[in-house]
This record gives sequence, C-alpha cells and structure tokens, in this order.
Amino acid sequence: MVAKHFRMQMEYLKIAIHTALEYRTNFLIQVISMFLNDVVWVVFWLIFFTRFQTVNGWNFQDMLVLYTVITIAFGLSGVFFGNRAAIAGMIVEGKLDYYLTLPKNILYHVLVSRVSWFDLGDIVFGVVLALFFVPPIKWPLLLILTILSMIIIVAFGVIVGSLAFFMGNAEDFSKKFFDGLIGFASYPLTIYRGFIRFLVLVIVPAGFVTGIPVMLLKEFNWQMFFLMVGFTVLISVIAIGVFYWGLKRYESGNLMNVRT
Amino acid sequence: MTFTKYYAIAKTNFINSFTYIFDTLASTFFIGIVIFIFIYLWKAIYASNEIIAGFTIVMMLWYLVMTEAIVTSQSRVLQEIGEEVISGNIANYLTKPYNYLLYKYAYTIGRAILRFLLIFIVCGIIVLLMLGPLTIALYVLPFIMITAFLAITLHFLMMASFALFALWFENAQALEFIYSKIVFTIGGMLIPLELFPAWISGISMFLPFSYVAYHPAKLFVAFSFQNFIQVATMQIVWVTVFLLIAIIMYKTYIKRLQINGG
Repeated sequence: MVAKHFRMQMEYLKIAIHTALEYRTNFLIQVISMFLNDVVWVVFWLIFFTRFQTVNGWNFQDMLVLYTVITIAFGLSGVFFGNRAAIAGMIVEGKLDYYLTLPKNILYHVLVSRVSWFDLGDIVFGVVLALFFVPPIKWPLLLILTILSMIIIVAFGVIVGSLAFFMGNAEDFSKKFFDGLIGFASYPLTIYRGFIRFLVLVIVPAGFVTGIPVMLLKEFNWQMFFLMVGFTVLISVIAIGVFYWGLKRYESGNLMNVRT
Repeated sequence: MTFTKYYAIAKTNFINSFTYIFDTLASTFFIGIVIFIFIYLWKAIYASNEIIAGFTIVMMLWYLVMTEAIVTSQSRVLQEIGEEVISGNIANYLTKPYNYLLYKYAYTIGRAILRFLLIFIVCGIIVLLMLGPLTIALYVLPFIMITAFLAITLHFLMMASFALFALWFENAQALEFIYSKIVFTIGGMLIPLELFPAWISGISMFLPFSYVAYHPAKLFVAFSFQNFIQVATMQIVWVTVFLLIAIIMYKTYIKRLQINGG
C-alpha cells in the first residue's frame, strides 16, 4: 500500500523530470532565478546585520541557519508536495473530481501531483548554505529538522487550503495565509515576546518552521526536540482531519477539466 | 478624444476592482502581516537607539507603509504582460482601436489606485495603533500624492519594459522575481538606503528603482520643497526614459511577432 503510493510519487517526479529536460532553458531559468532570489535575501540580511550586529540575541550566523532551514524545507515541500498551496483553488474550480475516482489516497495524490522546479533552486541554495555554515556533525539533525519543518509547511498549506470547503472562494486568502507563514518564518523568532510569540509559534506555526529548528541546531535539547516532533504529528493529524471533514462538503463544479 | 477611452478603461477597472474586493483585501491582509512583523523587528532594533540614520521608529514604519503601498499596489503586472508576450496573446490587442501599452497602463492604474489606498489605510491603522501618528503638515499631502503617482507610473513602465524582455528570456515569473528583488533592496522598499554601506546607497539613490520606493517614501516622512522638486524632476526624467525603452521594445517585439492561424 505505502510502496504503491511511493511508486506513484516517483512516477510523477519522473514525468516532471522529463518535462524539465524537454524545456531545459526554462528549467534552468527557474532554478537559477530562485537561487538568485535567495542570494539577494541573504545579502540583504548581511547588510542589515553589519549595521545592527544582533537583534534580540540573533546574529547573522543564526540568520544563515534560518535560511538554510527554510529554503531546504520549503524547497522540499515544493518539489515533493507541489500542490501544498494550491488546494483551495482546486476545490473552488472543482478539480478534485479527478482524484476522487482513483484508488489512491486522495490527499496524498492531490499533494504529490505537481512538482515545482522553482523550489529546486531553494533546495540547492539551502544545501550550499549548509555546506558552508552548518558543521558536518550537525547535518543529520539538520536533515531531520528540515523534514519535520517541511511536514509542518505542507500541513499548514492543507489546513488553509481546506478553508475553501467551508468558505467558498477562499483561494486568495488561503494563498496569503500560506505566504504569511513563510513571511513570519523568515524573521528571527526572538523579535516577538509574550503572547505574540505564542501566536507565532502555535497559530501561525512559523516558530516551528524555523525558530525552534534554529535553536536546536544552535544548542540541542531533547525536550525541545520532542516538542517539535509532537507538534509535527499534531498539525499533520489536524490537517488530515480538516481535509476529510471538508471533503464531505465538497460539491463538484460543472466545469469540464482536462488534465494534460 | 484620444485619451477619453483610456480614462474610461481606468475607470471601468477601478469600479471592477470593487467586484473582486476579496482579492484586494487578501493582498492587503498579507501586507498588513508584513508591516506587523516589521514593527516587531524595528522595535527590537530601536530598543537601544532613539534615532537611526535620521529616522525615528515612527518615521521608519510610516516610510515602510508608503513603500509597501506604492510597490505592491500593482503586483503581478510584470507576469501578466510577460505571459502575454510569451504566449503571443498580445496579438488579440492588435486589432483593437487602442495602443497596447496605454491600454495596459490605464487598466493597471485603475486597479492600483484602489489597492494603494487600501494598503495605505490598513497598514497605516496598524502603525497608528501600535506606534503612533506621523507628524506631517496637511498641505504637503498633494505633493506626496504627486510623487506617489509618478512612482506608480515609473514602476509600471519599468515592469512593462522588463516584461517585453520575456520574449528572449522565456519565463515571465523568473523576470518578476528578479525585478521585485531589485526594488525590494536597492529600491529601498524594505529598508531606507541610508542604512546600506555608503557606496551602495550612493549608486542606488541615483538609479531609477529608488525613485519607485525610497525617494517618495523618504519625502513622505521628511518633507521639504527642495527635495520634492528634485525627486519629482528625476521621476519625470526616468518615466520618460522608460517610456522610450518600453515603446522601442514593444515595436521590436511586434515586428518579430508571428501569428499562425487561430
């Protein structure tokens, strides 16, 4: 069962790779432009931290680790679960019909049926950062944390995407919520205090996407690690629950869709 | 007569934007989040300084409200035009009795004005409640509006020029990425140029990108007539330059456009 699903995902990846190789220039442009995009951000923070040294205890080194985590986690989520921010649109346009008729897990199939090559640029960038700025002894931990972080990103995408089951045309809002998560996750967690920090950690789980992984990579402790694992499980369960609860309310559109 | 139709296009799209108000509100909501994050980021920085590069924290945040409102009021324009360039859909406009670039401008401005106002008001309220008001004389507002309008126009023309470049570049989204990052950084959208190392800020202040974000926003928080004249003049110069570039690029593009049946 699991093996079959995995094989299906590999098939989708294979098709995406073939398409990418067919349109090679376009593929390279996508990867390189995302890489450059990330370079610009890091240069921006370099300038920022040259001027201000630390922001509530965060320095440029922490920012580099933050970018390592977010680019790899976000990149992985785009390459392996490319539809994570597109679910609301698919619900609104009635595009879920196709998946309902097939003998595979619906949510999983929806998520994996698109591969975003732009996000490969993110992964490449994150790996380059990791090679230079994360000591090799911490690479296994980095890998585990970025995978957990990726799961949180995908789960959050599913939750906000599923709003469309209940709210009607929630496509734009859902996208902006998702962008909001990445927005919050791209800044130091230490700038927030008290109640706002709680919000950033739990409601918009940006703190779990980057803040806690960066703290763990700086100084590991089991308690925080299990908190991270626990939260990942919790948000995944919520995402799956919300999606299938909403799916019961799904009304197909009368649009005729052709998948090409 | 010539310009009435473009005015009608702008007006129609302005009214149309109200129909899709949720779309506009969603973008505004996101910019609101960004401003919210910025408030916390700058609070942390200003904890140990009262004034940084001539900016108090209130000035800094109102500066950012202005840059965000100008730059994000016309999101996706580059991608829209770029995709029409790549797909050849521009051909659909050639048979119509208007100029494509002017049509796009009128169409974009109609939408951008509403978005600019909404973003400015929502983000302004957030800053007002969390930090306080900006001290500004009411009579300067018309002048600020002029520079903001010129900035939006310049932003449009640069995006249109970049978008026409998509014919050779093949991917409009990638062009949008690159252009937006230029405006974010050396355009001064995310941070005033004074905070950059002297040589970067020196060059950036002269480049057209800073006339989209940095100069109009700086004028908003620290107004002087002398600066207004200087900024507005340079904006008009850059608008003219990019108008010429866009026209030349467009003509070159149309010559190379091939239409194969329908």
